[in-house]
Amino acid sequence: MNASEDHIAAGAPLLDIRGLSLAFGGLKAVNEFSLALRPNALQGLIGPNGAGKTTVFNLITGVYRPDAGSILLAGRRLNGLKPHLIAEAGVARTFQNIRLFGDLSVFDNVCVACHLRTGRTPAAMTLAAPREDAPRHIAFRAARTGAHALLHMALTAHDLATVLLRTRRHLGEERAIRERALHLLSMFHLDHRKDELARNLPYGDQRRLEIARALATNPRVLLLDEPAAGMNTQEKRDLAGLIRRLRDEFRLTLLLIDHDVGLIMDICERITVLDYGQVIACGQPSEVQNDPKVIEAYLGEPMPHAE
Amino acid sequence: MELLATRARDYRPPTWLAILRGLLGPTIVVLLAVVLQRYSKSLFADEYRVWDDVLLKVGVNVILAVSLNIVNGYTGQFSIGHAGFMAVGGYTAAFLSYYGSFALWGDTMPHGGFLSCVSEPAEFVGRFADTGDAWFLLVLLAAGLAAALAGVVVGLPSIRLRGDYLAIVTLGFGEIVRVLLDSTEGTLSAEEIPEHSWASRAHYLGGPMGFFGQPFYTTHFWVWLFAGVTILTAYRLKASTFGRAFLAIRENEVAAQSIGVSTTSYKVYAFVISAFFAGIAGALYAHQLGNALAPSELCYQKSFDVIIMVVIGGMGSITGSILGAVLVTALPEWLRQPTHVWHVGLAMILVALAFSRFRVSRTVVLMALLTAALELMRFLSLHYEVNLERYRMILYALSLIAFMLLRPQGFFGVYEAWDAVRFWRLRPRGKTAAVGATP
Repeated sequence: MNASEDHIAAGAPLLDIRGLSLAFGGLKAVNEFSLALRPNALQGLIGPNGAGKTTVFNLITGVYRPDAGSILLAGRRLNGLKPHLIAEAGVARTFQNIRLFGDLSVFDNVCVACHLRTGRTPAAMTLAAPREDAPRHIAFRAARTGAHALLHMALTAHDLATVLLRTRRHLGEERAIRERALHLLSMFHLDHRKDELARNLPYGDQRRLEIARALATNPRVLLLDEPAAGMNTQEKRDLAGLIRRLRDEFRLTLLLIDHDVGLIMDICERITVLDYGQVIACGQPSEVQNDPKVIEAYLGEPMPHAE
Repeated sequence: MELLATRARDYRPPTWLAILRGLLGPTIVVLLAVVLQRYSKSLFADEYRVWDDVLLKVGVNVILAVSLNIVNGYTGQFSIGHAGFMAVGGYTAAFLSYYGSFALWGDTMPHGGFLSCVSEPAEFVGRFADTGDAWFLLVLLAAGLAAALAGVVVGLPSIRLRGDYLAIVTLGFGEIVRVLLDSTEGTLSAEEIPEHSWASRAHYLGGPMGFFGQPFYTTHFWVWLFAGVTILTAYRLKASTFGRAFLAIRENEVAAQSIGVSTTSYKVYAFVISAFFAGIAGALYAHQLGNALAPSELCYQKSFDVIIMVVIGGMGSITGSILGAVLVTALPEWLRQPTHVWHVGLAMILVALAFSRFRVSRTVVLMALLTAALELMRFLSLHYEVNLERYRMILYALSLIAFMLLRPQGFFGVYEAWDAVRFWRLRPRGKTAAVGATP
């Protein structure tokens, strides 16, 4: 971990995305997408419908594998890793269409996300996880995968034993997880509804619960996909305050997609604008606002007679 | 160091407390099993002696339902191959106990003490436990491990499958096991055994006629010991990172991955844990007096029976699975000669009432109607000489259909019996409940 901390101290970006591309058949959904997030940054990602914003999120979190390009988190390569390993590396996200665990209680929704940070799996295990795209000799890859699987099995058997025998370790973890989940819920003013099923929460609470769940993985980078969708003005204002608070209290680095350009302009320090999978502008809100390419993307080409 | 990891270390309870807490459940299970074994014969009056046997069947089905619930209920993977795991366990156990007994003692009789005493009365005859008991315990565990191995074999390819496709794969697995067992030959007799090596004995598993000659070790002690262990395992899993990960996969796989749950690994874990207990249930089934350990008995029909138990109780609910196993096993037996209709009916109505916070819900009405219908039919059968026993499977099927129509989510839904307390606290009486919030 020391190497990566030095890496940050040198002023390098925490999340460094370079030349990311993905094509669905002939359609280039994302083309040469680059983005550098400094630690503690609050960056917005906007663009017209179908510009590829959510696809970028899916690429970062490993839902899709990029055709080209690299994603580095504190100098560590993320692309090629499975989604759960990317979560473990410290990237959490929320979803455009809310994906809560509807039939679980609000409390359990947060508890389930706490499992990554209880100090169970040695960091070396995750670091050594075989990548899907590692360009190595096939025998080497097979041996590595096999060794990893064996180690994984041994660790799992041990974990299962601690759970079934209710060892001290398990009891301590469960208590710590309960405490952390309650703490997170109270931060989001959801603690009084902790026993309700997630699907019975009102819409705004569901959005906030999803953020709380993402935070429970203790991420370094949080990706929020349209957190303000369907909210009224007052709720949006509260959300903006919440996002700022999250960044300060959790020392988070945030990347934010939203269609509410006003909200993005208000809270983000820098904004990247996507159109047809390509970055057409990047900079401070005021710069982006007056960029002719951005205006064109949102409003269409100026009519000839308007000139 | 992560904060949560430091906290988890700080919060570890003292060793003596952890041991006490950890031993509470197992102690209760062992005590219950011993008490049942000691008093099972005096539990039922002579005319209800058949219920002693039903009680054993209930125990085995509880193991099956609670273990299937881990895959179908917790993890939401629809498996129809549970009887296949049961067969793998059952035949492994029968093979080991039959041919193993012969190697150990030179005959294939039971060599157990009180724990495996099938004869009546089940009193302390001879020793409390004998070498046969130890051997049977080993056989049970071996059966579980063999089935767990089969669980890995089925679990691995099913990683990339879901829904109908997974169901087909598991169904196929069960059928493969059945066909393989069908192709074996009749069990070797005591004289023939020495002529065959261990490896070649595996070819003599009874064939379509079934495995004969294994010693009958299955008693209330073993059945309820492992039923208790299964329930305890399911309960402890549910309240742990494992169980929560299973449930997360059921609810939303993409979201589960996004919070760091390795969906592929956890699906295999669910299969392996579930198969382990199915194997033990199979072993107990194989050594029960009166059961036929035949491929035709352990085909998909049996898998569906177990699925019915899980669905009736409520997918994901441990107490639901237990209730489902009890109902599905006991109902057809009870319908042979329904007795105590009003007692049973009243008990069910009271439970249903308690769950709907003492309001007349659909379930309460259903229970009352069922009770009345049964009583009416009993009246008819008594006075018009209708042979109720002949129609019992129709009644059984009808009550299943009625139940599913009125309560598609199962008796307990996704909840446990003890969640009722939480609902009472959550919603004070008189306040309107959110749709679907109450079970």
